[in-house]
Amino acid sequence: MFTKENFLKLFQTTKGRIALAAIAISLVAPLLLNDNYMLQILTLVVIYTIYASSWNLLASSGQGSLGHAAFLGIGGFTSSLLAINLGVPPIIGIFIAGAFSAGIGFLIGITCVRLKAWFLAMVTFGFAVIAETLFSEFNDVTHAIMGFRTPALLFSSRLPFYYFAVLISIASVAVIYFIMKSKMGLAFRAIHQNVAEASMIGINTAKYKLYAFVLSTFFAGLSGAIYVHFQRYIQISIFSADNSFKPLMMSVIGGLGTIEGPIIGSVVMVFIDDFLINIDWFLDSVLSPLFPAVEYVGTSIRLVGLGIFLVIVVILLPKGLSSLLHKTYHYVRREIIKSE
Amino acid sequence: MIDAATLIWGVAIGSIYVLLATGLNLIFGVMKLVNFAHGELLMLGAYVSYSVTTAFGLDVYLSVFVSMGVVALVGLAVERLAFRRVLGADKLNEIFVSLGLILIFDNAAVLIWGENSKRLTSPFAGMSVQLGEVFLSYNMLIAFGFVIAILVGLLFLIKKTKIGMAMRATSQKSEAAMLMGINIEHVYIFTFVLGAALAGAAGSLYGIIFPFNPYIGALPTIKAFAIIILGGLGSIPGAIVGGLLYGVAENVARASLGGIWGDAVAFALLIIVLIFRPKGLFGEKGD
Repeated sequence: MFTKENFLKLFQTTKGRIALAAIAISLVAPLLLNDNYMLQILTLVVIYTIYASSWNLLASSGQGSLGHAAFLGIGGFTSSLLAINLGVPPIIGIFIAGAFSAGIGFLIGITCVRLKAWFLAMVTFGFAVIAETLFSEFNDVTHAIMGFRTPALLFSSRLPFYYFAVLISIASVAVIYFIMKSKMGLAFRAIHQNVAEASMIGINTAKYKLYAFVLSTFFAGLSGAIYVHFQRYIQISIFSADNSFKPLMMSVIGGLGTIEGPIIGSVVMVFIDDFLINIDWFLDSVLSPLFPAVEYVGTSIRLVGLGIFLVIVVILLPKGLSSLLHKTYHYVRREIIKSE
Repeated sequence: MIDAATLIWGVAIGSIYVLLATGLNLIFGVMKLVNFAHGELLMLGAYVSYSVTTAFGLDVYLSVFVSMGVVALVGLAVERLAFRRVLGADKLNEIFVSLGLILIFDNAAVLIWGENSKRLTSPFAGMSVQLGEVFLSYNMLIAFGFVIAILVGLLFLIKKTKIGMAMRATSQKSEAAMLMGINIEHVYIFTFVLGAALAGAAGSLYGIIFPFNPYIGALPTIKAFAIIILGGLGSIPGAIVGGLLYGVAENVARASLGGIWGDAVAFALLIIVLIFRPKGLFGEKGD
């Protein structure tokens, strides 16, 4: 896997160069921007990259989860409760959180692997509701309803945290890349295309679907733990449907089943989300006369726009923005070759 | 604890779930389409009733018909503009389009009607009839009557009319139906519009019994899916029995374990059923 040839390939192929460039940008960006607020947004992008990639890995095996927030939340609560109650350092806690989330994912996965795509969507959504209910019912242990302040992850200043998150994120994306390249990834894609045919050519579909579930929930739990140590706060609202739909939208907008899709998606979505105050004010100032019944219309108009954007992407660009980039790249290359 | 009133409330909310689940089941059975935005049509139905009753002073029970018509038109637009274009491709795409539609509908409703909770005021508000120890509110009884009337009409449509026969044929095997000279494109449109109209009626009745806001659609959708999984895919009697049972189970859980358990217990039930019967309680055939 890590031979010298493979390493050299990084510099020789277009894909490899893009990957290196992306890593370089992620390392240099905070130094160039040199701004606390931007650093915070970049960190969010990096954390959401892990979260969206984990969702995307599951979806690549044909299993679209509508309740991934359950694992984000379980990861977050595991790490922060361990740190507060047992003094487990968060730097270890985040990996325990991932493992614990994967354990729960295994149990849910056992029930899910035999289900059809939309049965699974239902069950995962239901599981997020159940997890939310359980965490608020056992509030004495979880302190989930009021929420609490989580300890810092080794360093409380923002820049080292960012580099740590980048490191984990690169490692996670690399692991997911190698999984997708391997025989297992091939099996995932075969199952996604047609379960019956996949099992006919000898793929144990239940086993591979379960693998996808466990791997995906590990990374989801890990990202949840990093997320709460970044926010320095955790509350029951981490289980919200909003958080379940986020990785889905990121993956779909970026490009379903691709490595770069969730990354592009999280960049786009986090930037939309975080410049939203400006976007919302702008929309509100322009369009508010159209809707006299409501006082402040900016946010709703932006969300309507986001919905329309999502529908259009699914209809016109089923492979997301990443396919648009591919097409542009090949088009430009063809034109250059032609002109030569 | 569990008394007759709890059960009857369960039946009342259950009968609204029945309408929603029946429409969803028709759409799924005939088109094999997974519409997670179905509950948004319910929400829209409630608001249409609200608008026509406040603006024109129409009786709330007459407004049920108006909202069926308006929501059916919205359904037509949704089918033509969005679902038509992803039908038959990856099932996940249908779920993604649904989520986009949820964002659009929820926030459009906020823009038009605002975020505050609304309620339809019925002329029979607060009136009830005593039956033994239990008080049955008129509203609940009338809503129940509406549901029964709509379902009877629907069964007649499906069993006795030509378009109903075409729908049944398409749901069994769309290619064979096409060979028999059925224009399945038209059948698809009709089915989706019919399902939307049922959701519109469900919304108006929901609004008469419960207060509503732009975000009420999501949970009933998921519950309606749970009901058709329990009741069997494509089976209307299954959706009716499943809907009533689900409404009762949810209400009993709420009354005996506390409010927050209402949703969780129902989902736990669903997951347990799916562990033992991955294709649903009565489901044998799938898509």
